[in-house]
Amino acid sequence: MSNRNPILEFKNIHVQVEGKEVVRGVSLTIRAGETHAIMGPNGSGKSSLSNALMGHPSYQITRGEAFLDGRDILTMSADERSRAGLFLAFQYPLAIPGVTVANFLRSALQAHRGKEADMSDFRKLLRAKLAELEIDENFVSRYLNDGFSGGEKKRIEILQMSVLNPRMAILDETDSGLDIDALKTVAEGINRFHNDTNGVLMVTHYQRLLNYVKPEYVHVMMAGQIVTSGGPELALKLEDLGYDWLEKEPAASTGA
Amino acid sequence: MTQLSSIDYSIPEVAAELERGPKWLRDRRKLSRDAFNRTPVPPRGLHLWRYTDPMRFLFERGSVSDSAFDRDKDAVHQLGARYLRDGHLSAFVSDLAGRDVQIQTTEELTARSVVVSPLSEAVDQHRELVELYLYQLINQQTGKFEAMNGALWNDGIFVYVPNNTVVEQPIHLLREAGQAHSAQFPRLLVVVGKNAELTLIDEYSGGSTSTDDGITYSNGAVEIFGMQESRIRYVSVQRQAPGVQSYLTHRARIERGATMLTIPLAFGAAISKQNFGVIMNGPSADSKMYGLLFGTDHQQFDNHTLHHHAHGHTTSNIDFKVVLGDKATSAYTGLIRIDHNAEFCEAYQENRNLLLNPGTRADSIPELEILNEEVTCTHGATVGPIDPMQLFYLNSRGIHKPEAVRMVVSGFVASTLKMVSDDLRERITQIVEQRLEAI
Repeated sequence: MSNRNPILEFKNIHVQVEGKEVVRGVSLTIRAGETHAIMGPNGSGKSSLSNALMGHPSYQITRGEAFLDGRDILTMSADERSRAGLFLAFQYPLAIPGVTVANFLRSALQAHRGKEADMSDFRKLLRAKLAELEIDENFVSRYLNDGFSGGEKKRIEILQMSVLNPRMAILDETDSGLDIDALKTVAEGINRFHNDTNGVLMVTHYQRLLNYVKPEYVHVMMAGQIVTSGGPELALKLEDLGYDWLEKEPAASTGA
Repeated sequence: MTQLSSIDYSIPEVAAELERGPKWLRDRRKLSRDAFNRTPVPPRGLHLWRYTDPMRFLFERGSVSDSAFDRDKDAVHQLGARYLRDGHLSAFVSDLAGRDVQIQTTEELTARSVVVSPLSEAVDQHRELVELYLYQLINQQTGKFEAMNGALWNDGIFVYVPNNTVVEQPIHLLREAGQAHSAQFPRLLVVVGKNAELTLIDEYSGGSTSTDDGITYSNGAVEIFGMQESRIRYVSVQRQAPGVQSYLTHRARIERGATMLTIPLAFGAAISKQNFGVIMNGPSADSKMYGLLFGTDHQQFDNHTLHHHAHGHTTSNIDFKVVLGDKATSAYTGLIRIDHNAEFCEAYQENRNLLLNPGTRADSIPELEILNEEVTCTHGATVGPIDPMQLFYLNSRGIHKPEAVRMVVSGFVASTLKMVSDDLRERITQIVEQRLEAI
């Protein structure tokens, strides 16, 4: 373990959806400069964990605590969590018809900075980020996610991340729906964003993205709990063997 | 206050209205007067009267008066000069409570024989056209309140565009309502010749600022005729003051190959009942209507639209949007009528209602009278609050809740505003934003 400061730290998180417990006591600490991955089969609770940490109204955190840079985020509304530096790239980003990508990004940036974003500075920033992610400039005058392909939505999520430059980015199934070229571009975007002062948590079913964004720590989630943790080699083992072998082992490796 | 139950000569001002104009017009006024007096007040269960009390449009006996407009007329005219200069208009018309019509036009317009005139003058100077078209679509048979306008309209506006003439810049009509305890009957007649083109902005504003101070009654009628291959854009903006009880009937008829874009926008008045209708009377006639209303406080809206396919091979599309805050209510009734002999028509209708507050209420009533089987016709309606998931998505990017609501609503209305020209869009966006701040 490095002695760097924790960016995101959560302990014994329990999450309910419609009265059903889907996350049952998950703890994790992500320090500055670290990249973590949570892997797990469908329905393991990893997306629920991500959404609950962001403050999604359908996901209730019933027990546990969570801190971003030492500040309790569970008492914050979703917009406060974002302004505090938390970012979630959604698995299924929603369309907002009539609101252009550019207007949306400018409003978000203004909310983060607490003041008007100068138009020419904003345009410059946006143009640079678009070039990095190989997104056509005309794209920003389209309505947010309205009629976008799966891959376009994911790129726009990463674009939002690079513009807002959060302390902690959680990426929920960001690789799904991407062809190999788009996957590489998105991975480059994540690598370019990541540095010694921020944290990245990738939530994914497959290890495909992990070929391009290398995590130092891999955690496996099943039935609402982390059942084992390890290094990058764990992801490769899952690639070869799937998740079945874990079900046969007791959940002892969580240290619970 | 006594409501007027019959139009008769016991009120001198009413008598004066009925005697205004040449004989043919006086005869028409009397037909309307008789129809008004004969027709009972519509019972509440009657079609199109389920949601609004008709008594609200029967004005007080004392409210027909030549001194209805007490505001500074010069200020309105200066506004017109400014609009004309900055607004890229070809004409600006100020209509003060249907009594004083002032017109400013560019020389170019006059040179091309386009007529923009007070209706009271046009009945003499352009008698053939006016006598032929006035009362053709809205008359004593249309309904009690249309008959009221037909009898009592004092002044109005006449616009005529000759064949093959393109009016590039819009003509802007500003209809300023009169003070509290006044009644007015604005009237508009528009005739657009073959292969001619016109954009008309018809803006209704002013009036009593609170029903507590007294009511301003406004009862308007708009008739538009588009000849073969004509292209018309008509924008109606109702942003009257909160003490106005407002009634408006609009009918347009377009001939072969003509296109009509109608944009009804309603933001103001205590009660606003509006009826917009387009009749497609020749093959390839096409009508599009993009409506938007935005209510707050206790405002009450009752809107009807009609797309009447009187001829085969005609197309129509309606997208009518409603946004309601506070305790505002809206009823939208959209009728598509396709005549028996009108084959191969296409008609689409959509009505979406966005409710920003639990105290609001929106009714959506689609009506189809389709007498021909060889047609394509669809309609849809939605009523509901803002999707909380959309709000969460915006919140998750740091955007505060009120700002997120504002963004979703401006997104909702964006497709309608896109249909309006740039300068007008800016002003309508301002009105929408003022509404949002009040939520």
